Amino acid sequence: MNPVLAGILAVLGLTLVKATPLIYAALGGVLSERSGVVNIGLEGIMIAGAFTAVVVSGLSGSPLVGALAGVLAGAGVAALLAFAATRLGVDQIVAGTGLNIAALAAAAFGLVLIYHQPGASREVPAFGHAGENMLILLAFLAAAALHVVLTRTPWGLHVRACGEDPSAAEAAGIDALRTRFTAVVIGGAIAALGGVYLSLAELDLYSDGMTAGRGFIALAAVIFGRWTPFGATGAALFFGFFAALQYSLQRAGVPSELMQALPYLAALVALAGFAGRVRAPAADGVPYVRQ
Amino acid sequence: MRRRFGAVQAVDGVDLELLPGEIHALVGENGAGKSTLAAIAYGAVRADEGTVEALGVVGLVHQHFKLIERLRVWENVLLNREPKRGWTIDVPAARARVLELAAKYGLAVDPDAVVETLPVGIKQRVELLRELDREPAVLLLDEPTAALAPSEIASFFETVRGLAARGTAVLVVTHKLAEVIAYSQRVTVMRAGAVVARHLTGETNADAIAREMVGGEVPALATRAATEPAVLLEAHGLSATSGTSALTDVTFAVRAGEIVGIAGIEGNGQSALADALAGIVPFTGELRLAGVVLRPDDSPAARLARGIRVIPQDRRREALVLDWDVCDNVVLGRQRTLPRAGYDAAAREVIERFDVRPPDPGAIVGMLSGGNQQKVVVGRLLSGAPKLVVAYQPTRGIDIGAAALVQSRLIEARNAGAGVLLISFELDEIFACADRVLVIAGGAFVGSFDRAAIDRGRIGALMAGGRA
Amino acid sequence: MPYAFVRGRAFRDIVIVLVLVFGVGSIAMLLAHVSPLVAFGALFDGAFGTREEVAETLVQATNLLFPALGIAVAFRAGLFNIGAEGQLILGGFAAGWLGAQLPLPWYLAIPMVLVAGALAGGVWGAIPGFLRARFGANEVIATLMLNVVAVLLATYLVNGPLALPGSGASETPSLPHAAQLPDLVADSRLTWAFPIALGLAFVLRWMLQRTVFGYELRAAGDAPEAAKRAGIDLRRTAFVAMALSGAIAGLGGATIVAGELHRFNTGLSPGYGFIAIAVALVGNLDPLWIIVASLAFGVLQSGGIAMQAEAGVPRDVVALVTGLVIIALAGRRVVAARRST
Repeated sequence: MNPVLAGILAVLGLTLVKATPLIYAALGGVLSERSGVVNIGLEGIMIAGAFTAVVVSGLSGSPLVGALAGVLAGAGVAALLAFAATRLGVDQIVAGTGLNIAALAAAAFGLVLIYHQPGASREVPAFGHAGENMLILLAFLAAAALHVVLTRTPWGLHVRACGEDPSAAEAAGIDALRTRFTAVVIGGAIAALGGVYLSLAELDLYSDGMTAGRGFIALAAVIFGRWTPFGATGAALFFGFFAALQYSLQRAGVPSELMQALPYLAALVALAGFAGRVRAPAADGVPYVRQ
Repeated sequence: MRRRFGAVQAVDGVDLELLPGEIHALVGENGAGKSTLAAIAYGAVRADEGTVEALGVVGLVHQHFKLIERLRVWENVLLNREPKRGWTIDVPAARARVLELAAKYGLAVDPDAVVETLPVGIKQRVELLRELDREPAVLLLDEPTAALAPSEIASFFETVRGLAARGTAVLVVTHKLAEVIAYSQRVTVMRAGAVVARHLTGETNADAIAREMVGGEVPALATRAATEPAVLLEAHGLSATSGTSALTDVTFAVRAGEIVGIAGIEGNGQSALADALAGIVPFTGELRLAGVVLRPDDSPAARLARGIRVIPQDRRREALVLDWDVCDNVVLGRQRTLPRAGYDAAAREVIERFDVRPPDPGAIVGMLSGGNQQKVVVGRLLSGAPKLVVAYQPTRGIDIGAAALVQSRLIEARNAGAGVLLISFELDEIFACADRVLVIAGGAFVGSFDRAAIDRGRIGALMAGGRA
Repeated sequence: MPYAFVRGRAFRDIVIVLVLVFGVGSIAMLLAHVSPLVAFGALFDGAFGTREEVAETLVQATNLLFPALGIAVAFRAGLFNIGAEGQLILGGFAAGWLGAQLPLPWYLAIPMVLVAGALAGGVWGAIPGFLRARFGANEVIATLMLNVVAVLLATYLVNGPLALPGSGASETPSLPHAAQLPDLVADSRLTWAFPIALGLAFVLRWMLQRTVFGYELRAAGDAPEAAKRAGIDLRRTAFVAMALSGAIAGLGGATIVAGELHRFNTGLSPGYGFIAIAVALVGNLDPLWIIVASLAFGVLQSGGIAMQAEAGVPRDVVALVTGLVIIALAGRRVVAARRST
């Protein structure tokens, strides 16, 4: 094969690999924010998913069981944020930041408890290549499914109503707090798959800091994608492309730290370029308090 | 029924009975408890005492529409009652149901239109359709015509009459007495949370109801003095946009010592006018203040420095820091010019001149009543001899005493030589205060009247004329 | 707000923090098969047992106090600066890089090292401030990403173009003695950084409550729309508040380098910039209360090390509890209405 073509194909393939965890996290963010809850805790949810998946896969010997456990863990962590955001009416951004800190620390604590070593787990049964491809495909299917749910189902309409105007939604008999809670929890389950992908598909272990701020890039992808599932997927692919590019450029002799910074810088530029030109859901990030 | 909000008894021991097929008017001043009563009847607010009984579903159309702006018409009308096919929404069926409802009640709408793109009158139809889809036995209309043009009001009440004729009991909460007389069969008057009178509409008249609403005489306004008519503000071909509000190519002048009333229905460019003068949005065209050209992209600070003071429409959000005390709020905007030692004196001056209660510079503004909050805002903005005062709905939602005080201080500012632009949706306020009236519609001035030549009917027609 | 109300809430907050620290802490300790009595004993003994340990507790409090004060300034202006960690790291790098090559007497070297740290942190805070002021870009996401970039950038610079002769992997050479902050307590790492931080807290308190700039900053945070209409330039306020916030965190990084480590290395912060969010919130964004909060968290930090070493409970428990404290206290008045530039 033509070496240039082969190089391009390699970058595109790697783009899919690098984009997949971002897609899951961004889809979770889209669902959460369309219901009116800004989920800064995506990073922590990914950590919970990645860590739990590894532990349970190691215990059960089945990566599939591990993945399911990871998804449940993500949903559980998201439920904590959802509870704080809907029942305690806390500032969602501050609470999400706390969630990230707590999740990272809990995983580090768990590593010592379970594997008796800091830093990383031992290797566990993982998905391998076929499973990885399935998870990549599933990410795109999840985007399509979320699109249908949001635009074509009653629950999706209720979620959007709560994200735009929860008091009007309640006037129509919708329980806005419960709808938001459910949306955040399901969003957490989806985002956790991004963590599962990192620990059981791309690798076969959990190590401290392995999510490396992907949850934050996903937040930028939500904005960049205008709060739609397909838009966020496209934005995740865009950032994934820059993450893939770093490997090619690294081979060309560009220092690795600068290349690692590339997707973050791309997200920053996108953030600045898109701010003011896109509109968030009207009640995004605004706690709803019943009168 | 009784309902207490904090220290204020909003509704106290009220009995009200609605009959099928009647249009019943509930009237009273701002804060008399009408809206609270409607909310209790609807079930949105619980009564502390008393009961509500209704034969069938109760529907409520709000004063401020409870529509979700970025959803479609059918999504709003059928929210939480969506027709389903399997686990998805049957969108064609939803569309058909809205069209059918619309045809049945003569309320034409496009089911796929996004609500935020619709004019106010159509939004009202959507709001009404949403309630009608539930086939209510009782329909509560809370200030339903506040944002409508006179011609829209007439067609709106035709629809309401049609509903009553089908046996629906309709309660119209309003303070517009002309509508009460024209459309209702019975009227109940409330004041300070209690019912003060009940009439068959045919046996009373607007003047009598007005006296019952106020409970005596309205406080007198300050008298107006003769002033020197020097041109203060000149606008030539002024255009501006603020959010959805647009002002297109208007030319006008305000003289020193004159109150110019801007009469119009909400949403016809008033916000763009106020924001352009405040320096919140840029304008195109030419603007001169006392002969000096104003830059189109001046900051609010630059406009303040030139002596332009804008009393904003939404005092809680646009004028006050609710967590702060009266003193720090009085200083806001003058923090750079006023020495720290002068803060307290400035606050006491405003408190005294505007009778702010409690008379305590340390009182937290968020805890004050709406009227006292507005006194703080107006007091702050009128101190220091402003050249031009733009008052945007300066008495919205405050009690009559505070409103009269605010209007009197505006007239005093005029007597002292300031030019005043009074933007109001209440014609009565404009007629009470203005030396000259400009009618705004569709973002342009469509009529001008001197005080002596004010013609209520003509102004009403012009206000409606500029609308789609 | 009425005084009794504030006092009631402060009391409630303290109860929440105590329940989380001792409740969650105990559960975690039991999971590690250690009696909470033993573990907390080790923790408090490690924080207060000896003169040197008390000094180390104050060191940890100092390291949290700087970024917490920076965070408070931004939060009071209505801006969520979650980027104190990155600002602190780059401040530390600038201080270490400059300090290691300054052949100057102490009275020039120390101020220059500290100013370098403040400048670097200030620039790193000013970037999201600028993006917000100019483009309306969400400062939360920007600062979160700049944290990651800061670590990468410092690592790249210290190993690459700005590597100095005699430096090790991912660190600068040692600072000359003249550029080091003098010790406050012999045989400890407690230096003049502590009184500097305390003084800074009082200055910031005065600035926020007594100066026109502080007044405008608070107005912008508490009621942005009203502040804008009263002539306060929200863009300028956002930029200056973020730059100042970053500078304070950067100064903190510089004091760590000049006072404790005497060199920059990329691992100089175990997450001070994040823990400081909890410190700022527990301190109700009031500089003087933040001093108290920083002492409390300083105990957890320094005691946590002893707890790990002596009782065998991973010190990550402290970070876990800190994260939960942040979630629990996010309900307090942080920022009223943010979406407006």
